[in-house]
Amino acid sequence: MSTRTARTRDPGTRPVETDSRNLVTAIRQSLPRAAWWAVCVCLAVLFLYPLYVMLSQSLKAPGEAAAAPPTLYPHELSLNNFRALDGDTGIDIVAGAGNSLLVSLGATLATVVLSTVAGYGFARLRFPGSDILFFATLATFMIPFQAVITPLYLLLNNLGLQNSLLGLAAVYTTFQLPFGLFLMRNSFAAVPRSLEEAALIDGCGILKAMVRVVLPVAVPGLITTALLTFFACWNEFFAALILISDQEKFTLPVSLSVLASGNLGSVDWGVLQAGVAVTIVPCVVIYLLLQKYYVGGLLSGAVK
Amino acid sequence: MRTRTTAASALLMSVALLATACGGSGSNTSGSGSGTITLWARDSQKGFINILADAWNKDHDTKVKATVVPVANFVQKFGTAAAGGSGPDVASIDLVYLPYFASTGVLDDITDLANKLPYKDGLSAAHRKLATYNGRTYALPFTAEASVLFYNKDLFRKAGLDPDKPPANYAEIISAAKKIRALGKDIHGYAIAGQCGGCEIFEFTPHIWASGGDVLSADGKKALFDTPEVTDALTFYRKLYTDGSMPTQSKTDTGTNQPAAFQSGKLGMTPLGAFFVQVLKKDKKVDFGVAPLPGRNGGSASFAGGDEIAVTKNAKNKAQAHEFVRWATGEQAQTILAENSIVPVRTDLIDKIYTPLDPRYKVLAAAMEKGRTPYSTVENALFNDNNGPWVNMINRAVFDGDIAKAQQEGQKAAQSIIDDAS
Amino acid sequence: MSAPHRRTLSRAGRRRLAGIAMTSPALAMITLFFFVPLVMMLWMSLHDWPLLGEHHFTGLKNYREALHDTEFRTAVIFTVKYTLITTPVLFVLGLAMALLVRHKRRGARFFQAVYFLPVVVGLASAAFLWLFMFQSDIGPAGDLADHLGLGSRTTNWFAGSTSAMLVVIGMVTWKIVGLQMLLLLTGLRSIPTDAEEAARIDGASRLQTFRYVILPLLRPTLALVLVFSVAGSLLAFDQFYVMTGGGPSNSTITAVYEIYRASFIKFQLGYGSALSALLMIVLAAVSAIQMLLLRSSDH
Repeated sequence: MSTRTARTRDPGTRPVETDSRNLVTAIRQSLPRAAWWAVCVCLAVLFLYPLYVMLSQSLKAPGEAAAAPPTLYPHELSLNNFRALDGDTGIDIVAGAGNSLLVSLGATLATVVLSTVAGYGFARLRFPGSDILFFATLATFMIPFQAVITPLYLLLNNLGLQNSLLGLAAVYTTFQLPFGLFLMRNSFAAVPRSLEEAALIDGCGILKAMVRVVLPVAVPGLITTALLTFFACWNEFFAALILISDQEKFTLPVSLSVLASGNLGSVDWGVLQAGVAVTIVPCVVIYLLLQKYYVGGLLSGAVK
Repeated sequence: MRTRTTAASALLMSVALLATACGGSGSNTSGSGSGTITLWARDSQKGFINILADAWNKDHDTKVKATVVPVANFVQKFGTAAAGGSGPDVASIDLVYLPYFASTGVLDDITDLANKLPYKDGLSAAHRKLATYNGRTYALPFTAEASVLFYNKDLFRKAGLDPDKPPANYAEIISAAKKIRALGKDIHGYAIAGQCGGCEIFEFTPHIWASGGDVLSADGKKALFDTPEVTDALTFYRKLYTDGSMPTQSKTDTGTNQPAAFQSGKLGMTPLGAFFVQVLKKDKKVDFGVAPLPGRNGGSASFAGGDEIAVTKNAKNKAQAHEFVRWATGEQAQTILAENSIVPVRTDLIDKIYTPLDPRYKVLAAAMEKGRTPYSTVENALFNDNNGPWVNMINRAVFDGDIAKAQQEGQKAAQSIIDDAS
Repeated sequence: MSAPHRRTLSRAGRRRLAGIAMTSPALAMITLFFFVPLVMMLWMSLHDWPLLGEHHFTGLKNYREALHDTEFRTAVIFTVKYTLITTPVLFVLGLAMALLVRHKRRGARFFQAVYFLPVVVGLASAAFLWLFMFQSDIGPAGDLADHLGLGSRTTNWFAGSTSAMLVVIGMVTWKIVGLQMLLLLTGLRSIPTDAEEAARIDGASRLQTFRYVILPLLRPTLALVLVFSVAGSLLAFDQFYVMTGGGPSNSTITAVYEIYRASFIKFQLGYGSALSALLMIVLAAVSAIQMLLLRSSDH
């Protein structure tokens, strides 16, 4: 291809630049730039618009929040929709947030600990069959957990863990583990072996060597695992919908679905959007703070 | 407090064991007399269930603790909990699900208890029928609901209709709805909840009954979705839609738009339940009337809704649970219900404790007394499921228009659900 | 054997033991809550297994029924249709956005972050948000359309099966496309700049460069992005459960929705398991294709 197009690369055909041409070129060069800005800004507006709707709707006074046609922005700022989250509408969203936090933190902690320990084992302490076992855990990537939800429900019921936040956390941990294992194993594998050898020669035990020497190097992977697990659990809907029966134990997204179903009356859209804001804003804030780990983790998980 | 009563009951137990000279199996030690009775109710009952529990707790040693379960998942949640032994002692269950739960054996047989009630014939007939499975009784009637037509008297007046003479057949509803629709762009004549199974069985079936038809055979073994009375009722709804009397939200309404629209004062008529009277009275915005749901050429019928109260088979506190369900049908409890705008199930008391509270309650009481309920162990899959054959048939017939095809396919789907279950 | 040799052997043995000990908690967890249910699913799918009451063996009856189940067939057809629309939309937009923000110029990083922002929002929460935006009369999106003369605010978007699906696709695009953009962006960045520059110097037009240089080199990323959206779309549930409830007239029920209905609305756990097994096979096939594509593109 390069030979075919080589002919057109003839410096002689280039026009000599003059002042007026300079101006035209300048315009021609800045035009695409302006167009680029225009397109990007338009897109940004489109992407931010729903979040704006969420915030503006949740900050409207209750009467205004139900207005038809809707107001474009809150004419009177009010926190009443947020105040109503603690059960005024028949469902306690604040308690739901508490449950979500509990389950998400629990599952995150369990996932981080289990995948760190096992990730190290898989990366450094090979034993017969360890590769096969590791591959088997990766195979769970290929099977969606939606497919095993029915027997899982029955199993948890038999274990006495159905309708229990502990059971839900266990399920979340299980489904985040393969990814955590994968990430942590790769993190540990990337640590130079000599570092660890040195520690071992210095008389450290295997665990000590891992905690003192290797783990610090693997911290970014650890943060990523924690972050992705937390987000996944905080936002999960399907399993929570099925596995939890008691309204007092509902997680945030499931509580919102009760709110949206309107309970023999109309849906309070202002309160619903306040609930949505409570769900979304923490994610956005964490993302903005820890962008590097979040994006990096997603990529390393996806591309490798 | 709770530990004290438990300790006391443990002491009692050991005394009892000594007295019987260590005979018997010694099982069921956590049984009678101990701390609490657990009670599950639907979230829509939140308003009164705790008031009721408080009333019981005031003069009983055994305390009732009520838990509210979302109505959308009640069947699934209660079913598994009861089967897995983590269920409550007592449950307030939508009466349509009674045949199903009775047939699966999660409920306690309380036939003797029910027969001994002095006022047993005064209890709602529809409730009694639904609580019976293979000749045995598995629950007592608890709360009643009745479907009726709500209409906005102001809009009736503005449209030149007589607010004291509500429409009494299909043609009158259609013409009244049309006149009301003509009042303004955002005013509608008639609204339904077209994607809500529980609403449609409650609000649409009475038209079929009032016209002499039915949706299931008496033994529940045959679906009757393709009968002419169903065709008539569907045609009636279809006409309301094609006339433009129905708002477009009706097609996708899961039961939230319909009451809200009526509350806003921009809706002429809508079929709803007794609970809505209280909502509107609290609002004080709409001057409304209540009328029976008519048949094609007059007559009227109502869906007998509400709850039954049952003891679970695995109840830990059975004796007290029995006592509680009996108490729940008694005058004190039923009066508390009436005061909280719930239709009581005692037809022998209704004129004393309910109808005097509001003139409109007369219509509701009458509707409740002659109310009917389809009997099926697969009620949920047939009717209440928002994606089930009943809703799907109505939705397609009313909003898409091919009534014959919708009925035919609905009939087939419904019959296959019934056949699969037996 | 000499003493030091024995000592290293035993150290290797210790390491092996430690490896087993350290990996077993995680493996036990995955076995208990994943492989056990997986086997249970296959076992249950061979039974008539109601939620309450007795269950009994029926062989392949559930699978035969599934093949003749018109509701399930409709759900599968809808899921495929949804996937076939969503995937190219996400792909084209994602690629366009990646090309837009890939240059290291002022503002590019900012716009990247903005477009990626909705990715961190949960699917269910996003669905509740868009459900409100597109409510008739009170929804801001319909109102905006009215102001711009593009539509009427009284339109009930969820009343038509096509418009309902389009709103859902709009929501999913908003929420997912940032991820697709990011993945493609990484793919683009991994292309050596000299390859592109060489083509440009050779006089190839922008379009030609893109078609003959960038696209082939982007293949592994493309495969990945496609499989991501295909698998995600085939498993769709939250967005339809929240936004359409399967309506209007059951026209937006997906395969997972049908599994949910079979198991938890109709309480036929055996039948639900059979449907799950079928779904699992399809998804495993999609993932296998992903692996194959990625492996063959490694070289």
